[in-house]
Amino acid sequence: MSAEDIIKEYQDILRQYNILNQISKTVSSTLDLNKILKIILTGVTFGDGFGFNRAFLFLIDRHSKNLRGRMAIGPSSAEDAWKVWNEIKDKNYSLEEYLGSEKFENEQQFSVLDEKIKQISMPIDKNRVVWKCLQDGIPRNVDLVSAAAGGENEPVEDSGPAALFKERQAFSQDGLVQVITVNDSALIDAELAEYIDHPKFCIIPLISRTKKVGILIVDNKYNQRDITSDDIKFLLLLGQFAASSIRNTIIYNDLKDSISALSKLNMKLNYLKDYNEKIIESIPVSIIVVDHNFTVTQCNENCGKLMGFSKEIVMGKQINTHEIYIDGINLIDEVFKVIKENKAQGFYKVNMTINGEKSDEIFDIMLVPFKFSEENPEGAVIIVENVTNTVRLETELSNTKKLSQLGKLAATVAHEIRNPLIAIGGYAARVKRKFLEGAQTDIGNLEIIIEEVKRLERIVNEILDFASGREVKFSEVNISLLLLECINLAKAAAEQNNLEIIFDCGRDLVENANLHVFGSRDHLKQAFLNILNNAIDASGKKDKIKICIAKGAKDSFYDFSDSARKMQDSISGIFSKDRAEGEPEYIIIYINNSAPLANREDIKNIFLPFYTTKTKGTGLGLTITKKIIEQHAGKIEVNSSIENGTTFAIKLPLMDI
Amino acid sequence: MKKILVVEDDMPIRNLYKEELIDEGYDVITATDGVNGYELFKSSRPDLITIDIKMPNMNGLELLDKIRKEDRDIPIIIYSAYGEFTQNFSTWAADEYLVKSSDLTEFKNKVKELLLR
Repeated sequence: MSAEDIIKEYQDILRQYNILNQISKTVSSTLDLNKILKIILTGVTFGDGFGFNRAFLFLIDRHSKNLRGRMAIGPSSAEDAWKVWNEIKDKNYSLEEYLGSEKFENEQQFSVLDEKIKQISMPIDKNRVVWKCLQDGIPRNVDLVSAAAGGENEPVEDSGPAALFKERQAFSQDGLVQVITVNDSALIDAELAEYIDHPKFCIIPLISRTKKVGILIVDNKYNQRDITSDDIKFLLLLGQFAASSIRNTIIYNDLKDSISALSKLNMKLNYLKDYNEKIIESIPVSIIVVDHNFTVTQCNENCGKLMGFSKEIVMGKQINTHEIYIDGINLIDEVFKVIKENKAQGFYKVNMTINGEKSDEIFDIMLVPFKFSEENPEGAVIIVENVTNTVRLETELSNTKKLSQLGKLAATVAHEIRNPLIAIGGYAARVKRKFLEGAQTDIGNLEIIIEEVKRLERIVNEILDFASGREVKFSEVNISLLLLECINLAKAAAEQNNLEIIFDCGRDLVENANLHVFGSRDHLKQAFLNILNNAIDASGKKDKIKICIAKGAKDSFYDFSDSARKMQDSISGIFSKDRAEGEPEYIIIYINNSAPLANREDIKNIFLPFYTTKTKGTGLGLTITKKIIEQHAGKIEVNSSIENGTTFAIKLPLMDI
Repeated sequence: MKKILVVEDDMPIRNLYKEELIDEGYDVITATDGVNGYELFKSSRPDLITIDIKMPNMNGLELLDKIRKEDRDIPIIIYSAYGEFTQNFSTWAADEYLVKSSDLTEFKNKVKELLLR
């Protein structure tokens, strides 16, 4: 080697180091990945630099793990190539100048070459040279020309059945650079080979430490210059630098994205917090949230108003710095209970006394355990709603209702009273006239007057009962005896009307048993007689009124149809469901008559005051009966069908003796 | 002797009307509801009928309608404790409408008047 050659060689090396230096300087000035890639590829292809005709960059896709085409630089035809190079030569740019120039910034990003590379995606395939190169980190010099020429290269090693592989490993002359020459087209992805469309190119792995980033491919398609081992040495250096720059930029961008996502999340959280606070502030109720130490953690302006302080004064302090009483009950005790028992508690239509000041308004108060987790409550939410207006409206409505009932009562009373009054007045006038005529006084006429006065008294009593005039005194009542008495009274009345009262079942419970209920004997008697008389009034001539007495659960109902009765006889009167534990045993009195109620409306309205299907009566009998039974913690039901007539069931809790 | 049918469910009133009309010199038959009243109208051919409105089984208005379909001329007095029944046009089919009163003078006058017609 002549001295000139040596000088030229060192000049080349210097030039390439210079290029590397310029590239690294420019790259470190930016964190834009696309710009970095463009700088690297431009550096590789710049005439004054490495001067490769074309450069291609593939990066590993983080999702698919495929090698995806990312960017390509180079003319798409030989003519194009000459044009570009001459232009740069004319301007006499250095790389550094070019990279900072407007032309570099503005150069069309989407050349045909660049556009096409983005469509290439090579899946992992350890037999392909691109992946092998990434695996061992050794650059590949692809030369398919010598392979086509019959190749003087021999395979270095056979790897299994794929003995077609033709690869030769070699070191550069100085022994510093290891390179593998590939001359078997089977090792190249068909897609890649078609895209590059040139038999000679060099693949440089881009690996940052151990992390595979991608590959850089260069070729000299237009000037056909061979790629030397010196070229590869520098490309490797550039590759290492490029890999870490790319990776750092990717990491940086990821970090930036995460930070921006975090800040967005933070914004969203703040928004949600504001949103929730706005909701709490807008609803027309007072809300206080306390933790298990009774410290107020949340409170709205309404609540502040209620307490007579600003919201900020109430917040953060213990709720028991205020004295809050609900109808005389200390709120703190209730909150404590709610947290301890983990059970909501409600107080309706109550007055509140806060710090000694009693409010004129009426409130509904809900105490709800407040949970962050499924376990023990962390505190409680206190919701206070001012229901003064609602209560006022309800009162007005109930007054209106009362007035309309009063009107109905007046009409019913007037009508009911009229008939006896007419009879009394008519007969009195008649008796007077007969007396003046000197005729004998008709005792019958006087008796009618007396009877009609009694009738008037009964009507007045019914109305007084309905109006709750009579005092109710509870004591132990022998219900067996009472029922027997009522049934015997009813039997006498029934006989007059040609009716029969018979026991369907449970006669023994009346005649032999000693069942007791806690209640008012007079009222219960009235209730039973009302139902029995009702049955008598509703029956046609020669009908039967059936009675059944049973003990059982509150929700049982006896079926008076023939088929059901037979079945129940056979299993000795089991017609009630088993009682739930802790529920009292009931005595159930079923009274059945064969006349069905005319329509469903009747069943629905039968217990309403002044509702009657009879031509006589105030329509108060069943209303009073229902009231009496309910005063005794009992239940009255009615059931009616064409087949089985009408059945009333009275259920009263028995005393546990 | 003119025969009068009194249809009235309330026993004391029914008896009062019956006795007062007998004293006036009429032959009186009574029915306790609309159904019973219609039977007697068919079987006894009275000269005049007095009907209460509010009755079980068949009310006075139904009975009035039923009788009028067969006999357009027989004098009928309809009466009730309800004054507002006069607003109901079905009572117009009767010759007289009276509101019940303990003073039977008007009632007896109307009976006499209608029987003379």
